[in-house]
Amino acid sequence: MERGRDGMAKQPFLLDCDTGVDDAIAILLSKHLDNLELVAVTSVAGNVEIEKTTVNALRVLELAGMEHVPVYRGAAKPMMCEPTTAYYVHGKNGLGGLDVPLPKRGPESMPAWDAIYETAKRYKGELTVVAIGPLTNLGLAFVKYKDLPDLIKRIVIMGGAAVGGNVTPCAEFNIYVDPEAADIVFTCGAPVYMCGLDVTVPAYLTAEELDELGALGSKQAKFARDVVQGVLKYSQGFDLPGMCMHDPVTLLYADNDSYFTTKHVGIRVETKGSVTRGKTVTDLYSDKQMEHNAYIVTGVDREAFKNRVFELMKHYGA
Amino acid sequence: MRKRIPVVLDGDPGHDDAIAWVLANASPLLDIKAVTSVCGNQTIQKTTYNAGRVMTLIGLDVPLAAGRVKPLVADPIIAPTVHGQSGLDGPALPEPKNQPVSQDACALMADVLEKSDEPVVLIPTGPMTNVAALLLLYPHLKKKIRHIYMMGGGIQYGNWTPAAEFNILVDPEAADIVFKSGLPITMAGLDVTEKALVFPEDFERIRSLGNPVATVVAEWLDFFYGFHRSLGYAGAPVHDAVAVAALIQPEIMTFHEMYVQIETTGDYCRGATIGDPYGSLNQPANVRCIMDIDRQGFVDLLAEAAATYGKGA
Repeated sequence: MERGRDGMAKQPFLLDCDTGVDDAIAILLSKHLDNLELVAVTSVAGNVEIEKTTVNALRVLELAGMEHVPVYRGAAKPMMCEPTTAYYVHGKNGLGGLDVPLPKRGPESMPAWDAIYETAKRYKGELTVVAIGPLTNLGLAFVKYKDLPDLIKRIVIMGGAAVGGNVTPCAEFNIYVDPEAADIVFTCGAPVYMCGLDVTVPAYLTAEELDELGALGSKQAKFARDVVQGVLKYSQGFDLPGMCMHDPVTLLYADNDSYFTTKHVGIRVETKGSVTRGKTVTDLYSDKQMEHNAYIVTGVDREAFKNRVFELMKHYGA
Repeated sequence: MRKRIPVVLDGDPGHDDAIAWVLANASPLLDIKAVTSVCGNQTIQKTTYNAGRVMTLIGLDVPLAAGRVKPLVADPIIAPTVHGQSGLDGPALPEPKNQPVSQDACALMADVLEKSDEPVVLIPTGPMTNVAALLLLYPHLKKKIRHIYMMGGGIQYGNWTPAAEFNILVDPEAADIVFKSGLPITMAGLDVTEKALVFPEDFERIRSLGNPVATVVAEWLDFFYGFHRSLGYAGAPVHDAVAVAALIQPEIMTFHEMYVQIETTGDYCRGATIGDPYGSLNQPANVRCIMDIDRQGFVDLLAEAAATYGKGA
C-alpha cells in the first residue's frame, strides 16, 4: 500500500459510480489523494445505461493512467423499479458528448456486488466505499452477504438532501433512481456518511474557475474543462453560480473531512410516498428525533474545496 | 376607518391558538364573525371547552361551534406533551360564558359565509378538518371565501415527524382538499413560525402590562415555552399567531409563492407539505408561503395587542 502525505499507509477505497460527467472528474481526482488509494471501481446504471457507465469508467481510468485499477460491471437496473436516466445532464455518451478514446481493456468478469464483498474481505475491515451513483450494487451486496456490514469501514455516498431535491422537489437523483437500495444502505449497520445536495450544491465551480482548471494544460485538465461544458450550460438554466461538483466533493470529503461540517442524525428513505418517493428523511431540523443511524454532511468551505481540486489536478502536470 | 375584514377563527386551543385569538380580537382591522373548534392539540371536547374559556377571557362574544370528533379519515393525534392534559394548561381561566351552538363547525362557517355581504377570511390554526368539510359539503360557498390564512406545514422540515408538521399530519386528507381547492392560501409553516420566537424577556414585557389578559398570555407563554426549552429553543415559537399577523401586518414578513402538495401516503412522509420552488412539478403556484419574519416586529405586535385589554391595576 502506498504511503500518504503524513507517512501513514493510505486507506483502500472502492469507487462505485455511474460515470457520468462529475463521476469522471471524481475518477481523475482519485489518483493522487492524501489518505485514500483507489483499489477497485464498480459501475452502475444511473446517469446513463450500464454499458456506457462501464466503458466510461474504463475510459477515464485510462486517461488518468490508472489502468491497474480493476473495473467490475454492476447492476443494469434498480432493485425493484424501472430505470431513470439523466441524458439531459450528461450528454448522449454520458461524457458530455466528448469523443474519448475507447478503452484498451474490458471489465473483469466478476459482478460488482461480488467484487464489493471480495474487496472488503481482502482489506479486513479497512475498506472505504465511496458510492456516487444509485446504490443498487451496494443494496444487492448487502442482500447477498450478511457479514458485509462488518467488513466495511465506512460508506460515503453522494445522494439525497436534508432539504429540497433535484429530480423532484424533495428527491435527489441517485436516491430517487433506487430508493429501496438506498434504504438498505442507510440501515445496513456500517457507518454511512451522506453528502447530499445540502453540501454538494454549495460545492460549485464557476465557468471561469473551470476554464482556469483547463488552463493547467494537461490532457486530464483539459478533459475536465471540456466534459463539464454541457452541464454548465444546463446549470445556468437554474440560476446556479456554476456547476455543482456533486461527486468530486463527496470523494474529497472521504479523503479529508477537515473543511466540512458533519452531524450524526437519523436518515431513512421514503420508498412509498406519492410525491415523496426517494426523499431522504432526516431529523436534522425536526423536534422529533429518530434513531441516529447515519452522518449527514451539511457544509463545506468552498475555497478549501476549490483549492484541493486544483492541487490534485496539478499532479497531472502541464 | 377602513372597513373591517370579516373572519372566522378555527382552531384547537392550544396556547398558540389562544394567543393568535388574543391578537385577532385586539385588531381594529378584523370583524370576527364566529369561532369554530377542531380536534388536534387535544380532543374535541377539550379544545371546544378551551375555546369557550378563551373567548370569555378576551370578551369575544360570537357564536362558537364544535367540530367533528376526529379528522376526516385518520384517527386523532393529540399533543399533551406540548399543551398539557387540558390542552391549555397553565393559568386559571374563566368558565365559558356561553355554550357552543348545536350546529357543527362547518355548518356554522357555512352560515357565516351565506349571510356575509362580502367574502370572508378563514383562519385555521389547527388541523384543517373543518375547512375541508366546508369545501366538501358547501361547494357553492367557495366563492364566499376570500382567503385562507393557515398555520401548518413546513417547506423545509417537520416537527411531529421529521417530515411533517403536527396540524397537517393530524389530517393530511383535509389539508390536501384545501391545498387543491384553488382558493388563495397564505401558509404560516414552520419555516417562519420557528423564527417567530418570543423570548423569556418578552414574556416579562407582556406580563408587566398588568391587565388580566396580558397576565394570562404571559403565563401561557411560560407554560408553552417549557416544552420548547427542553428541546433547546431560545424562545417560544408562537406558531398560530403568525397566521393572524400575516393578515394584519404582512409588512413584517417575507412571502414566497409556490406550488405545494400534501403527501398523504408514505412510511415517513405522510403529512409533509412538499414545496416546489423551482417548478419541477410544472404546477401553478397555489400557496403564498411565509418564509421569514421580523421577530421584533412580531413581538411588538403581540405586546401591543395584549395592551389593548386594559391598563394594569
